[in-house]
Amino acid sequence: MQWLTIYKKECLESARNYKWVWVPLVFILFCIMDPLTTYYLPQILESTGGLPDGATFDIPTPPAANVFMMSISQINTLGVLVIALITMGTIAGERKSGVAELILVKPVSYTAYVTAKWAAHVTLVLLSIFVGLIASWYYVQLLFGDVSFIHALSTAGFYGLYIIFVISISLFMNTWTKTPGLVLFLTISIIMILNLVTSVFSHLLEWSPTNITSYLPSLLRTGEVGQDLWLASLFTIVTIVLLLFGAIQTLKRKEIV
Amino acid sequence: MIQLKNLTKTFDKQYAVKNITFNLPSGKCVALLGPNGAGKTTTLKMIAGLMHPTSGQVELANGVKGDIRKYIGYLPQHPQFHSWMTGMEFLHYVARLSHIPKHESQKLAEQLLDRVGIADAKNRKISKYSGGMKQRLGIAQAMIHKPSVLLLDEPVSALDPIGRRDVLNLMEELKQETTLLYSTHILGDAEEASDEILLMHKGAIVESGSLQDVKERHQVDKITLRFDGNMKAYKEKMEEFPFVTHTDIQKQKIHVYVQNVPEARDVLLELVSKEQWPLLFFEVGQTTLEDLFMKVVNEHAMADHL
Repeated sequence: MQWLTIYKKECLESARNYKWVWVPLVFILFCIMDPLTTYYLPQILESTGGLPDGATFDIPTPPAANVFMMSISQINTLGVLVIALITMGTIAGERKSGVAELILVKPVSYTAYVTAKWAAHVTLVLLSIFVGLIASWYYVQLLFGDVSFIHALSTAGFYGLYIIFVISISLFMNTWTKTPGLVLFLTISIIMILNLVTSVFSHLLEWSPTNITSYLPSLLRTGEVGQDLWLASLFTIVTIVLLLFGAIQTLKRKEIV
Repeated sequence: MIQLKNLTKTFDKQYAVKNITFNLPSGKCVALLGPNGAGKTTTLKMIAGLMHPTSGQVELANGVKGDIRKYIGYLPQHPQFHSWMTGMEFLHYVARLSHIPKHESQKLAEQLLDRVGIADAKNRKISKYSGGMKQRLGIAQAMIHKPSVLLLDEPVSALDPIGRRDVLNLMEELKQETTLLYSTHILGDAEEASDEILLMHKGAIVESGSLQDVKERHQVDKITLRFDGNMKAYKEKMEEFPFVTHTDIQKQKIHVYVQNVPEARDVLLELVSKEQWPLLFFEVGQTTLEDLFMKVVNEHAMADHL
């Protein structure tokens, strides 16, 4: 009951801030940018002056699946930044402004407070990403050729898991500091470090959450979920649970003011 | 109702609250009095569970330990709200968080908004509220779950005279329903609404008891005089009498604290006329709570310098 109250309040807040409008729009933009620019690259080159006479520059049309993956990698860079931006103040900001003082002095369960906020952000972000990826799939289908919708959907599903992981890191960081800017910095730093470490020791860290993205192309082509992807997903889920648990415990231990 | 046992809070090895022990009696209205920085807010926040004591504990008299938030209503000094909500929405939200069923919380929110006098603004965004309205909304949200103890941190200090009067009247009403503990640095407010006072200074309780008792205990007869010109010389002369306990100069007046009023009056008046001091003002009276306040604060300030 209490959980639902907080969840509804978070969703209402997102609605009043027009987050339900601009976050999906931003993700649609991110997702359709690459399919469109890739397809229209020759025309774009032409209109900006074209190539010198005699120069031949053959631009191969990339496979449809690759173009869809471009959208995901776009989310992986810009999208993650947007996610960190919209989640950075969810608890930290309330504590900083002092609203948390009024809320948490009521008999509110810390578990409900953290998980409801988490769930509300997961709902908003996942929905936006799915809308964005469906838009991407539509343009890829239209301009480049066939990509199985089912495969694209399961790719998006596994990618969603990674996104939930990002949101969980941000939520966790929210309980550690009262400064939203610092939450943003810490979240982005951790993801960057994780990416770096994973790409350097990729043969050792098959289970790393950031590796999920690297397994997606084969999933998209074949529709088969490899063992590594299962492993990474499982590890990601465990990490998400641990992050949430850590966030709740930290908030309990911390002084609200 | 609520017992504080050896409650202590330190910030960077500095005592904010130092070994406080007191019992908040049920159904009473207690004022936590003290100058700024005395530790009033810290004490209230520890009772509310927003701060964790460095040592000592807060206990509810009915034996409930652990999460006592259900029994406590709290109004911070500067209440902050979700400013994108309307007053009504916020109260409803807070009521739902306090496990009040939906239909009931709606009704309760309406009633409370009416009671604190902001029913007209219930559908306005909180960001458009004035300071006084926010304070009233703050009181409403603190009361919504009918707590057995209501903690109000400086409930009237930031209000204009009309708002102050309204809130004091409201507190007068609330006294009948719950136990009230509120902090203030304004003596008049403490005298007006409270049954008992706790005087805090530098994190410690330096005086407590019912208002009447405290007054009587500290009531000293004093004679206030004013002279033309520099008063230092007169002050020193008067200090020599055996019935004078001490003297001080405030606002161009000499306060002479005495033990025996009739004798002191006669002797001082005689002295004045004999020496032909340029007397402008002469009054026989008793110390007020404000004098006590100043005395306590000064005594402790003196002790710090020694």
